[in-house]
Amino acid sequence: MAAGGPDPLFGLRNSFYLGAYQAAINNSDIPNLSADDAVERDSIVYRSYIALGSYQLVINEIDSSAATPLQAVKLLALYLSNPANKEMTISSLQEWLGDPAIGNNPILRLIAGIIFMHEQDYNEALKHTNAGGTMDLHALNVQIFLKMHRSDYAEKQLRIMQQIDEDHTLTQLANAWLNLAVGGSKIQEAYLIFQDFSEKYQMTSLILNGKAVCCMHMGTFDEAESLLLEALNKDAKDPETLANLVVCSLHLGKPSSRYLSQLTLSHPDHILVKRAKTAEESFDRAVQTNA
Amino acid sequence: MLTKFETKSNRVKGLSFHSKRPWILASLHSGVIQLWDYRMGTLIDRFDEHDGPVRGVHFHKSQPLFVSGGDDYKIKVWNYKLHRCLFTLLGHLDYIRTVQFHHENPWIVSASDDQTIRIWNWQSRTCISVLTGHNHYVMCASFHPKEDLVVSASLDQTVRVWDIGALKKKTVSPADDILRLGQMNTDFFGGVDAVVKYVLEGHDRGVNWASFHPTLPLIVSGADDRQVKIWRMNDTKAWEVDTLRGHTNNVSCVLFHARQDIIVSNSEDKSIRVWDATKRTGLQAFRREHDRLWILSAHPEMNLLAAGHDNGMIVFKLERERPAFSVSGDSVFYVKDRFLRVYEYSIQKDTQLIPIRRPGSNSLNQGPRTLSYSPTENAVLVCSDMDGGSYELHILPKDSYGRGDTVQEAKRGSGGSALFVARNRFAVLESSNQVSVKNLKNEIVKKSILPLAVDAIFYAGTGNLLCRAEDRVVLFDLQQKIVHGDLQTSFVRYVVWSQDMESVALLSKHSIVIADKKLAHCCTLRETIRVKSGAWDDNGVFIYTTLTHIKYCLPNGDSGIIKTLDVPMYITKIFGSTIFCLDRDGKIRPIIVNSTEYVFKLSLLRKRYDKVMSMIRNSELCGQAMIAYLQQKGFPQVALYFVKDERTRFNLALESGNIEKALESAKKIDEKDHWYRLGVEALRQGNAGIVEYAYQRTKNFERLSFHYLITGNLDKLSKMVKIAEVKNDVMGQFHDSLYIGDVGERVKILENAGHLPLAYLTASVHGLHDTAERLAAELGENVPSLPKGRRASLLIPPSPVLCAGDWPLLMISKGIFEGGLDETVKDAHEDYQEAADADWGEALDIGEVENLQNGDISMVLEEENAEEENEEGGWDLEDLDLPPETPKTAATARSSVLIPPTPGMPVSQIWVQKSSLAAEHAAAGNFDTAMRLLSRQLGIRNFSPLKSLFQDIHMGSHTYLRAFSSAPVISVAVERGWSESASPNVRGPPALVFNFSQLEKKLKAGYKATTAGKFSEALGHFLAILHTIPLIVVETRREVDEVKELIIIVKEYVLGLQMELKRRELKDNPVRQQELAAYFTHCILQTPHLRLALLNAMTVCYKAQNLSTAATFARRLLETNPTAENQEKLARQILHVAEKNMKDAIDLNYDFRNPFVVCGATYVPIYRGQRDVTCPYCSSHFVPSQQGQLCTVCNLAEVGSDASGLLCSPTQIR
Repeated sequence: MAAGGPDPLFGLRNSFYLGAYQAAINNSDIPNLSADDAVERDSIVYRSYIALGSYQLVINEIDSSAATPLQAVKLLALYLSNPANKEMTISSLQEWLGDPAIGNNPILRLIAGIIFMHEQDYNEALKHTNAGGTMDLHALNVQIFLKMHRSDYAEKQLRIMQQIDEDHTLTQLANAWLNLAVGGSKIQEAYLIFQDFSEKYQMTSLILNGKAVCCMHMGTFDEAESLLLEALNKDAKDPETLANLVVCSLHLGKPSSRYLSQLTLSHPDHILVKRAKTAEESFDRAVQTNA
Repeated sequence: MLTKFETKSNRVKGLSFHSKRPWILASLHSGVIQLWDYRMGTLIDRFDEHDGPVRGVHFHKSQPLFVSGGDDYKIKVWNYKLHRCLFTLLGHLDYIRTVQFHHENPWIVSASDDQTIRIWNWQSRTCISVLTGHNHYVMCASFHPKEDLVVSASLDQTVRVWDIGALKKKTVSPADDILRLGQMNTDFFGGVDAVVKYVLEGHDRGVNWASFHPTLPLIVSGADDRQVKIWRMNDTKAWEVDTLRGHTNNVSCVLFHARQDIIVSNSEDKSIRVWDATKRTGLQAFRREHDRLWILSAHPEMNLLAAGHDNGMIVFKLERERPAFSVSGDSVFYVKDRFLRVYEYSIQKDTQLIPIRRPGSNSLNQGPRTLSYSPTENAVLVCSDMDGGSYELHILPKDSYGRGDTVQEAKRGSGGSALFVARNRFAVLESSNQVSVKNLKNEIVKKSILPLAVDAIFYAGTGNLLCRAEDRVVLFDLQQKIVHGDLQTSFVRYVVWSQDMESVALLSKHSIVIADKKLAHCCTLRETIRVKSGAWDDNGVFIYTTLTHIKYCLPNGDSGIIKTLDVPMYITKIFGSTIFCLDRDGKIRPIIVNSTEYVFKLSLLRKRYDKVMSMIRNSELCGQAMIAYLQQKGFPQVALYFVKDERTRFNLALESGNIEKALESAKKIDEKDHWYRLGVEALRQGNAGIVEYAYQRTKNFERLSFHYLITGNLDKLSKMVKIAEVKNDVMGQFHDSLYIGDVGERVKILENAGHLPLAYLTASVHGLHDTAERLAAELGENVPSLPKGRRASLLIPPSPVLCAGDWPLLMISKGIFEGGLDETVKDAHEDYQEAADADWGEALDIGEVENLQNGDISMVLEEENAEEENEEGGWDLEDLDLPPETPKTAATARSSVLIPPTPGMPVSQIWVQKSSLAAEHAAAGNFDTAMRLLSRQLGIRNFSPLKSLFQDIHMGSHTYLRAFSSAPVISVAVERGWSESASPNVRGPPALVFNFSQLEKKLKAGYKATTAGKFSEALGHFLAILHTIPLIVVETRREVDEVKELIIIVKEYVLGLQMELKRRELKDNPVRQQELAAYFTHCILQTPHLRLALLNAMTVCYKAQNLSTAATFARRLLETNPTAENQEKLARQILHVAEKNMKDAIDLNYDFRNPFVVCGATYVPIYRGQRDVTCPYCSSHFVPSQQGQLCTVCNLAEVGSDASGLLCSPTQIR
């Protein structure tokens, strides 16, 4: 990646990483791609659709003759679209991973990592992603470690990424994630990373959210609010925007229930919704024990 | 050497700069003297009167004069304004080598091959002194710039210094001068007024040149022995100081540089050499291929030199004078002398930052050339040409710039250019096709091969470079390694980006190219004078400087002059109409300019007509140029408003079709031609009224008649008949009557005109038989015969569809200019109308979404089934999920090396471990422990009012970060009290959604509601405060006390308000009402509230005839010095009434003399000494029977239970 000519998929990947999914889809018509690049292109496009919630489209468009990476992407779509049926998805995933011919495919492993992360089976996820191989996998590793509250491991992963390509979008992003997780003075660095992105590329709700989260951690909730409202303008249904708006409004002493109900409505599985639900239950339980 | 100008000509033997204008005189071997403008590069004049070579030439400092001396033994004094020679001074007997004006006296000194030096008075046009002593050709002679000295050089191998003090004394008064005329000859050989002071011997061959140092007592000389010698002198003697060797042939000219400590010499060895005057070492040599150099000249004020050679001359500079600078936000960083400085625009403060490396003195032009600044890292890159291109990276000290003894050593490297491409990355041009990107440690992060050979790189936004090649620039993306844009331009010297990075200006020597961010060409400007610098203003206008002007360039390429400059300036930044420039001395100079013109043009261009209008109204924008501009740009209707001259106004009005304005002007001008043109335009527009008027004014009756015919205005037409009759215009009269169809009239006209046959025919055809017969009788024989078989009919013009009046015109809204300017009423609202509509549409959408959600939310909630999700439940996470023991077979290869780390401790858990503050436990989601803490500390038993607070505080403790697409989001713990210096990985306490200031706001709201008498609302506020306080965390002890105070304040209000509300319910129990009202006055309230409570109690008691009690309230009310007059008045009245009848109708359980508190549940007084129990949280008092009950005031704690007390700050624990 460090050497070689211009990367035809650069823009596409960047858009995808930075959450400009529609832009990624719209700009996917790149001429003169090699076969591998074309498959990667398709996988990014389909993953963008998944990120936009168009699971069925992905499931319908990828037929059984498609390449392994695309099949993997389809699995992800199946998994996310049909929570009731996830056991089946996971078992076929396990089956493929067990197939030595395709089990090592980086995109398959990536998808496996993502799915097991959703299952909160981080060890299983790491089993497939830890070996790395692509920037995506490394970035996912960082995220898994952060989820496990092991920022030390995450930092090691980040070092590897930095050695490969320090200026890679994912490296920068992963750096920002880590900075946010470890907190302290690093938060400002995270903010600067998002700031750089916002100067360099088009604003996406992902970048705005990143900036807003940094602001909240730095205690500037007013600025965070304006960033989040900007993000809300871009995408009124973005779950993170809504979730962060809830948090931000709470801190500003403003009403937050509307955002919360919007989020509950559109993304009942969102972690904030779950937290709210859990909180309610544990409150009731605690009241009973303390009665 | 920076060549500014070059000419090709015959050999140049003499040169002289003009002190003010950009002019230089060059005297040629061919006998011609040329006057050049070296800035414009044009030959202004040539003076060709000398016969044979002209070796010496010199401008006068202040007069429009110059002097020349040639091989024809003549000294000529010229006036360049008059383009002619004024007079010739004769006397020398051989070639004249040099001539020079004295700086203040009207003297000229000349050196000649006749071995003499002569001093002439050019006013009296006589020779006033002859300096003899040299015994060979005198090659040069010049006055000292300040003292009464002359230095001369001769082929007799000596340099002589002459004292002309005596000459000066003699000419104190002009009378003396005339007197001296006679004496001159007697002094001729005596030479008392000019004596040799020193003879400097040391050169081995003939000396070609000698000149004084401008300030020091030094002389430098150059000779045929190929040496340059430096001499020093004092009052009594002069001696040789040093010799500079290096020239390989005769040194022809040598001089001290006026501004730098250097000596410049030229020689027949075809080189110009620069020497360090102090160290006396050679600094640099500039060689020419074929041309021997003959003469040098320095500009008296500017940093310019000129050299004459075999085939022309060059004007040059030794060092660049542009200070290196870099603008960043509100400040500009620049280099002055050896220091990096910063200037902050907003406060206009100039600070010296750090010293930077002194340019190596072994060569010239090695100073900083460009700067690049990274604001976030506070780092500066200084680039120079040192060692073939190098850079230095300085990290600026953060806070105290001051005296830097701890200035960090700069990191250095070599490369063509270096600049920041991201906040902590900079790019260095390593070779013509390779760029390396480095980090702040000066380590190479990566290398990129450039797509073409490049000689410089410029900034182009984060991660991009603008690469300059010979004839183009390309926009190169460092990360993707692809070219984003490509633009053919002449050699680009500077690049200026607009603030939003949307446009870029590429400055070349004589042109400016404006392009967009993808390097798409927008416009090109050409300048005849060098372009120096530029910056973008806030409106997207590019303001730039040339050597002589500040100019603007609009986005469409229109440009114009804003201001003339005396000296070159480098624009750094523009704020409104203030342009901040750096001058060549490194001084920041704010220049205020009149931006009206370009702002106006820009507004026109952007179609911001409202602004255009206000500018027209408010400012004086006049002048032909502006009118021409407006006309040319298709805005004649705007130009109309600038013009005072009626003719121009008329033309503009016609051009813009503004017929009313044209009419106004036409009336004032009142010329036939203008009326005619007005008529034509009015006809075109169908404005019949004005057409008619115009025809009337031009007395164009035929047209007028036809006009009436067309418009069907028969009345006027018949008038026209009469007018024609009066005017004796037979034809007109005939036409008119033909138009009207008046046969009788026609016949009459024909008859009168003598056309009897025609008259007869007309009459008989139209059946006017009487007349016909009469005419026939008159005609007699000659009665013409009527054609047979034809039926005649009267030709009546068809009546027009529309009679009279103007043609109907389409209703068009008047141009903003017409409407707006004439009536000064703006109707610019139309634009906004639409915008408002759009907003409405959106608002509606939001509404729908909301409705939808409100409907569905309950459903969603119902669907939720209690699923245990203990993701964040701090305690539970401690039991580890051990990894499954049996790894999958295929994965073994990968997983064999992997020992998955055990999950770490979530931040929320850390919070819990550290803290004994209930709020922090709640934030972590450990409601259970939080409740236990509250119960222990405050005796709180009833948590249900706290439910939403607990939830909010928990939800507000984490933010959500979408990391990898489709992977679960990361939730990040928000910590309290963040500061820039906090170290990472050290967990702070959670950020809480409630804080003390919110409570203060609520308290104010509660007060306000109380004042307004909205008691339930107020009670709500106060209760909310009381409920929030258990979850408040403050930082200092003082604040803890404040919180505790707040509890008491709020508690009192809650109690009081509860009683007051209770009282209002008890309509039928006046005793209890009075009691409650009375107790209310014993709650601790703000004075205004207390007054209201007293007033209330007073009224209630008074009404119930408890006058004595009412009187006590009245007294207490008066004690508060009520501000409201009616309160005071009422109190006094009651007091007055009560004093007459001091007794109570009913006994109350109220003894104001005996201090008491009120039971929070039963609202009975508990007098001092009586037993009571208190609420452990809000400290409300209760009668003992309430023991173990829930506190009715705060509704949280159990009355009389044990509690350790409020814990709301980490400081309480330490």
